[in-house]
Order: sequence, then C-alpha cells, then structure tokens
Amino acid sequence: MRPVSIRSIAAAVLAAAGVLLAAGAAAQGVIRIGAPLPLTGPLSPEAQKLQNGMNLWAETANKAGGVKVGAKRMKVEIVYVDYQSNTPRAVQATEKLITQDKVDFLFSPFGSGAAKAASSVSEKYEMPTIAATASSEQVYDQGYKYLFGVYTPNQTLTEPLADLVQKQAAGVQRVAILARNDLFPLAIAQEMEKSAKKRNMNVLYFEKYAIGTLDHASALSQIKALAPHWIFATGYINDLILIKKQMGDLGIEAPVVTMVAGPAYKEFVSALGKGAENVSSAAWWHPAVRYQSKDVFGSTENFNKLFRDKYGLDPDYGEASSAVSGVVLQLAIEAAGTLDRKAVREALAKMNTMTFFGPIKFGPTGQVNSLDPPVFQVQKGKQVVILPTAIKQGSLQLGVK
Amino acid sequence: MRSSALLAAALLALVALLPLSGDAYWLRLGTTMLMYGVLAMSWNFIGGMAGYPSFASAAFFGLGAYAGAVAQKFGVPMGLAWVCAGGAALAFAALLGLALLRLRGHYFAIASLVVAEVLRELVNSATDLTGGGMGLNLPVPHDATVASQAQFFFYSMLGLAAITFTAMLLTTHSKLGFGLRCIQQNEAAADMLGVNTTLYKVAAFMLSGAFAGAAGALYASWVHYIEPPDVFDVLYSIKAIVMVLLGGAGSVFGPLFGAAIFLSLEELVWRNYLQVHTGVLGLMIVLLVLFLPKGVFARAVPRTRKKP
Amino acid sequence: MLSLQIFANGLVLGGLYACIAAGFSLVWGVLNIINILHGSFIVLGGYLAYYAYAKLGIHPFLSILIAAPLFFALGYALQRALINRMIAAPVLLTLSLTFGLDLMLSNGMLFAFTADFKKLTLDPPLGVLSLSGIVLPVDRLFAMLLALGLTGLLYLVLSRSRIGRAIVAVRMDREAAALMGVNVKRIYAVTFGVGALMAGASGPLLAMIFPISPLSGPAYLGKAFVICVLGGLGSVPGAMIGGLALGVVESFGGLWFGPEHAVTLSFTLLILMLLFRPTGLLGRAGYS
Repeated sequence: MRPVSIRSIAAAVLAAAGVLLAAGAAAQGVIRIGAPLPLTGPLSPEAQKLQNGMNLWAETANKAGGVKVGAKRMKVEIVYVDYQSNTPRAVQATEKLITQDKVDFLFSPFGSGAAKAASSVSEKYEMPTIAATASSEQVYDQGYKYLFGVYTPNQTLTEPLADLVQKQAAGVQRVAILARNDLFPLAIAQEMEKSAKKRNMNVLYFEKYAIGTLDHASALSQIKALAPHWIFATGYINDLILIKKQMGDLGIEAPVVTMVAGPAYKEFVSALGKGAENVSSAAWWHPAVRYQSKDVFGSTENFNKLFRDKYGLDPDYGEASSAVSGVVLQLAIEAAGTLDRKAVREALAKMNTMTFFGPIKFGPTGQVNSLDPPVFQVQKGKQVVILPTAIKQGSLQLGVK
Repeated sequence: MRSSALLAAALLALVALLPLSGDAYWLRLGTTMLMYGVLAMSWNFIGGMAGYPSFASAAFFGLGAYAGAVAQKFGVPMGLAWVCAGGAALAFAALLGLALLRLRGHYFAIASLVVAEVLRELVNSATDLTGGGMGLNLPVPHDATVASQAQFFFYSMLGLAAITFTAMLLTTHSKLGFGLRCIQQNEAAADMLGVNTTLYKVAAFMLSGAFAGAAGALYASWVHYIEPPDVFDVLYSIKAIVMVLLGGAGSVFGPLFGAAIFLSLEELVWRNYLQVHTGVLGLMIVLLVLFLPKGVFARAVPRTRKKP
Repeated sequence: MLSLQIFANGLVLGGLYACIAAGFSLVWGVLNIINILHGSFIVLGGYLAYYAYAKLGIHPFLSILIAAPLFFALGYALQRALINRMIAAPVLLTLSLTFGLDLMLSNGMLFAFTADFKKLTLDPPLGVLSLSGIVLPVDRLFAMLLALGLTGLLYLVLSRSRIGRAIVAVRMDREAAALMGVNVKRIYAVTFGVGALMAGASGPLLAMIFPISPLSGPAYLGKAFVICVLGGLGSVPGAMIGGLALGVVESFGGLWFGPEHAVTLSFTLLILMLLFRPTGLLGRAGYS
C-alpha cells in the first residue's frame, strides 16, 4: 500500500474547492423558485407528488405566457434540490438555494418537521416561502412573517369528522388512537383526542408507535380487547396499510375506522382490497370539490383535467397543494406588480381570493384559515366525499371489518 | 510530522479566513467542517488512541444536542447550555464506559451502536420534555442578522474545535496517551505492567463523549430545530470513523484532515450526484478500507494488528 | 385471553426472526465478521419475491427456491472477491467494509425500486385461523412454519453433511480444522454463501407479511444482532431460541410498555445480555 502523496491530496481538495466555487449563476428574465425536496430517501414518494403538482403549475403558467410582473410577463423556473429526506440537509438545501442559487422565492420542504426547520433560514433572509404540506400549528408558532402555508390546522380535519360521527353514529363512545411518533401524525392524533373528549367520548387507548415499526400485532391485540367503537390511526401510507391489514388478520371490527393519511391514496385501496371498505379519512382537498377561480387553472375541474392529461391519473391532495403553492405565489406577484420580496410578502398577507384548491386567506400566523377540508370514505373501492355537505357524494357508512 | 504540521497550518489559515468571504453558505460549510472535525477528534480518543471500535459518537452527539436544547428551553443562556451539555455527555460517557468497556471487539462495537437507538427512543417518548417525535424548537435571536449569526456559530465551532484539538494534543503527550497506546497494542500486557486500564479507557471514553456532546449542543443552537432521528443518526458515528480512517487513526492531525477531505467530497457528491450519494459514500468507505486502511497519509510505522 | 394472543403473536413473529438470524449468526460465528449486508440481502430477496409474484405470478413459497441458489452464489462471490481480503483485519475495518458495501447495495435498491413500500398481497388471501379465542393469520403461520423448517434444514446440513461439519469445525477451532485438511478459505466462502442464502430465502417469507422497502434492512439487522447475542454466535438452535424469545419479549413489551418501546426493549435486552451473559442463553462461547 503506497501512501498517497500529500501533494495529490492537496490537489484534490483544491479541485473540490474549485468546483464548489462554480456556483450556478442566475438566468435573466426568469422567476426562479427554489424547491428543496426529499428526492431520495424514505420520503421520496411524497417528493414525487410535490414535483408533479409544481411542474404542472409551472408548465401551465408558462404556456399562458408567464407570470405578469407589472407591465411585462416572465416565465417561471423551479430549481429542485434534493435533501435526502434528512431534515438538517433540508435546512442546508434551503440556504444553498437562497445564497448560491439565488432564487427569487421558495417552496418549503416536505412535511411539518422539515418545513419548520427550514423556515428559520428563509425568515432570516426575508424570503417569502410557501409551505405546500405543513399543517401542524407548531410549524407556524415562531412568529415568522415570511412563511405561508396552504394547509389548514390539524383540528380542521378532526372537528368536522368528530361532529359527523357524533351525529350520524349515535352510540359511538369508546375511542382508541394509535399514532406514529412523528410530527404530523402525532400532532393530528392529539387533535383527535381533543375533539373526541370535547364531545364526551371516552378515549380508552392512546399509544404511539416508533417510526419504522414493522409489526403492530401487540398494539392491535390490545385495542381488540378494549372493543372500541372508533379506531383512529395515523401514519404514512405504508404504516396504515400494514395496520389495516393486521386489523383484518386479528379480526378487529368497529363501527368507525378513520386513518390519516392513507385512504386518500389509490395505493391504499389497491393494496387492501376489501379491507379498505368503509375506512374514513379527512384531507385538505379532494378532486371532487368544485371551485371556479381566477387563477391560471380556472376551476377545479380544469385542474383535474390538465393533471390527468399530463400524468394519467387523478390528482390527490399532495399534488394539488403543491400546485396551489405556485398559484398562490403567482397571484401574489401579480397583485404586487413586482418581484420585490417585501411587496410580495405584503400581497400574500393580504390575499383573499378563490383558487382551484378553494378560498385562500392566510391567518395571522401565515397558515391558511379559509378552507373547508373534505371528509371522505372508501365505499365499494372508491373514495366518496361525505363532507362538506355542499359537495357531498354519499353518506357515512358504519361498520369496518 | 513536519509536513503535516505545515499542511495543518495552511488549512487553519484557509478556514479562519472564511468569514472574510461574507458568504453565509460558505460559513455554513466551514462550520460543518469544524463540527465534523470535532466529531472525528472526539472519536480519535477512544477509537484511534485506545483502539476500541466505538460507534457511540451519534449517541453522545444526540444527547448533547438534546441536553443543550432542553437547557435553553428552560432559559439557560446558550454558552452555558453548551457547557452543561458537554458535562452531561461526559457524565453519561463515564457511566456507559464503566458498563461497556469490559466488552471487546464486535460486542463493544454493537453495544455502542445500539446505545444511540435506545437513547433516541427514550427521547422520543419523553414528549413533554423533549417534544418527542414532534421535535424541539430553540430560541432564535431576533436582533441578529444572518451574517452575524453565521459568523457567531462559525467562531463558536472554531473555538470548540480548537479546545478539542488542544485536549487531544495534551492527551497524546501525556501519561494518559501513553497508557492508551499501550492498551491498544496489548491490553493484557498493559494491565500486567501496571497501567490502570479501566481508568484510562473510561477517561478516553469520557473525553470522546464530552466533545461530541458539546458539538451536538452547538449544532442544536445553530439549526434552531431538532428531531430525534436527525441528531441520533448512526451516520454521525460512521462519518466520524471514516474521517479518522481517511486522515490516519491515532495521529494528531489525521482527524482534522480527514474531516476536511470528507466534507469536500460529501459536498461535491451532493451537488453533482443526486441519486447515488449514499452509494458513493459506501464506495468511498469500501475503497478506503480495502486500499488505504491507514489513511491517505499512510504512516511509515505499521501498528500491530489484533490477532483474531 | 389477551395474554395468550400476545404470546401466540410472539411465537409466530419469533419463528420468522429465527430464520432472519440463523444465517447471520453463522457468518459471525465462523468468519468473525458482522455482515451488515444481511439486512439488505433479506430486502433484496423480498423484492425478488414481490416482482416474481407481480409480474410472473410465481408464489412466494416458490420464490424461496429461486432465491436460495442465487443468493448463495452472490454471497460466495462477494466473500471470495472482497471480504476474504479482510479476514484477519481489526473489527473496525471489517465492520466498515460491510457497512460500506451495504450503503452501496441499499442505494442501488433505492435507485432501482424507489422508496415506495411494496406490499405483496396474496390473491386470494389465505385468511385467518381461529383457535379457542386466539386469532392467527394463516400467511404468518405458514411463513413461520417455513422459516422454522428452513432453519431446521440448515441445522441438519450443518450436523450431517461433510461440508456442514467442516463449517462447524472451522467455527470451533480454525487452526485445528486447517490441520485436519479443511480448506478454510473455501469454507469461509461457503459459509458466507450460506448466510446470504438464508437471508435471501427469508426475504420472500417476510415479504408476504411486511411491506418491503430498501430502508427496512436496518430493522431486520437490528433484530439479528439481538438474537445472536441472545442465542449465542454461530449456533443455529441458539438462533431459534433467541428468535422465539425475542418475538415473545417484543410482544409482551408492546403490551406492558406501549408499542413505541418494543424496539428499545429489545436493544436494552441486548445491552444487558452483553454485560451479564455474553455467551447467550445457551451459554455457547463466541468470538469477542
């Protein structure tokens, strides 16, 4: 083993430094929006959805001539950076986009945890940032002025649901909650507990499972022994598919089973088949909603159509929320008439408009507070909207096997 | 030794000049490199000098991060919180060391690896204290600008690296260092010669823990938000080891060089090879282990290999 | 009866765990190498079964027969080409080597298969078995029986066949075995191949029950560690006992301390065992 000469090492280090110095230069006449996404690692399926939505918006906006900035029109370009599903890297990616890639605006990383971490950076640089997928109020509790999120707080999902169950499923008294020990799933489970207790329901069981748990038999056996009327489970799609399957294996039956956020996705239904029947869920958007809007899509139906044309399947809420992040940014820039960040920030704070996603108005913390999240249920293999009543497609069915 | 001292001085000069660039991202890279340096040097105490394959760096880093963060949550000022975190990690390392350092080789390696997992889950469940899976926020100083904050943390990390380096230098030339080298070569013989092996090993482990813990606390204050999987990440342990292997285990400047080389490579790969960076890291490790196990600056005097 | 159900859950899980750990334990005991790749081999075997079922309709039980020789060859080749160079190296280096290789493999799988969890759902599903109040899913039960069967087969091969006995001889005393004319290098490669075979063969079984993703490797590996320490290195009966014990401990741990602590519990058990009884429940001394 010949020792490698110090000279060659120094050369390598210097070369590396040289490469690092060759940072990207900004293109002229284009609005650049940074999007740090977990393109690799455990969260990459989510990143794919976000990319789909963002790309659709960028394409549609550019096809319409671009974003109106005062008198001229400018095209948009999204600059993606991978943060490997690792939150510290998300923070680094955010700073890189701002200082090295010199983007004009930012989209948040995926999920509440990373969005919160990255927001410290974007706030420091006074960079308007739109969070497509951060719903937990804890993300917005730092008093930041430049962070805006298009998901309503978690209790807007649990409250209408709890109301509905109380009214239409009389006798539901005993509740069991199983939550993934992660920012969003745990936060929304806590909201569910609050909503249930508010209605004098008895929360018999509230346990967390570790990220990456492969076997839920123990927890589910306990739940079975308690014979609850309402089982509420949170996690990401693979967790929920596993939980529901094991529920079936153990023969657990209950009048109401709600899961967040699996049933919104087609994979949930296809993986479980009959096991998905009558599982309910809530989300921030559903393709069945109908809004007419003055944004680049014009209406929910048009958005759905364009999405289907491009990707061959119906959009779900993750894809819609990333697209509406772009829409919101576009509307703000057009209202401000300039790319100046403070002005755009003001426009965002003042926004009160209708988009294909629903009415958008941001509350004092930057989180949107104008939406009416749909509650839906898997009935006969399809997702059927049961709330809000205006766009109802069916009624709550009881009994999950 | 002469040439490595020169190179170290050059590196130090480069690093110290970073704030002049005025670019916060470069400062971030520099701060990260210094942090890696601290992790590598702290591992060097137990892994390089004593020869115990410790995978506990992540455990100490995470513990320090949470100790510092929780202290700050209760109003302890930043600098003091860092010192407390280092102290907490020191105490924990003492207890852990007394328990685990009786084990050798693989058993020690696994036990040290597993400690991080256990700590992570404990922190995860103590939701009221640590925020559990929802993470912990640290106070952001509102009156500081981006530039001043970046500089502050850069210099703090530089300070920590300097302290760690001094500690390493002092240890190497002290009785402790000598004792550790004896232990590494042949623990039984060292024992017979009257070296208090338990005391020395635990001392090395404690030093390893304290500095890694302080780095964790600094890190937490720097990023303002931590979650258990981020700070108890086993990759911190792996990276510390790889950096020391790169630079040459047991040497004084080795860990720092290793950290510099590693960070440059990591950044290079991250920018250019989006999909395969973990694979490239893996490849790097494999090549290092197979062809350059004594580091890129291979020592002239081979260390005795342990008999299987 | 909740306790009985929990106990049954634990046994079924434990049977699977035994299969995961048997090969790993053998490699560790004979070559004194901790094969970090083991977890990823299991996942790779799982993917093999998944795609075989999804695209070709091959039942996972059959996939085991396909996976076995493939993985044996893979393990043998890997050992001969790379790992053999590090046989006498310090723990740090061998561990780092297999760790680096594992990073490469799991990145490769991530690239090839993406991080979406894939679930192998049998069509038609096998249903559940209900015995005096205890409910057992049939697919788990079959998987457990096959897993135990595979482990038992390994034990038979080790104790009855010539090459098996040569492996055991090398495990007990390498120098003596060499003096007896055993080609130690070849035995190393064969053992590693067998370890890979067991991992690859348990992949299809696990794929039937758990969702597969390139990131589930470390979880399986963690279990293998604990089982090896519980059962003693290089011992197949030990792996069986360790596996069953771990399954039951995790099940009851989930009941008593909450599901989030199940993994912590097993690791705490690991540390305690290492401190107080490193030779395992069966008391077989291993390499340190």
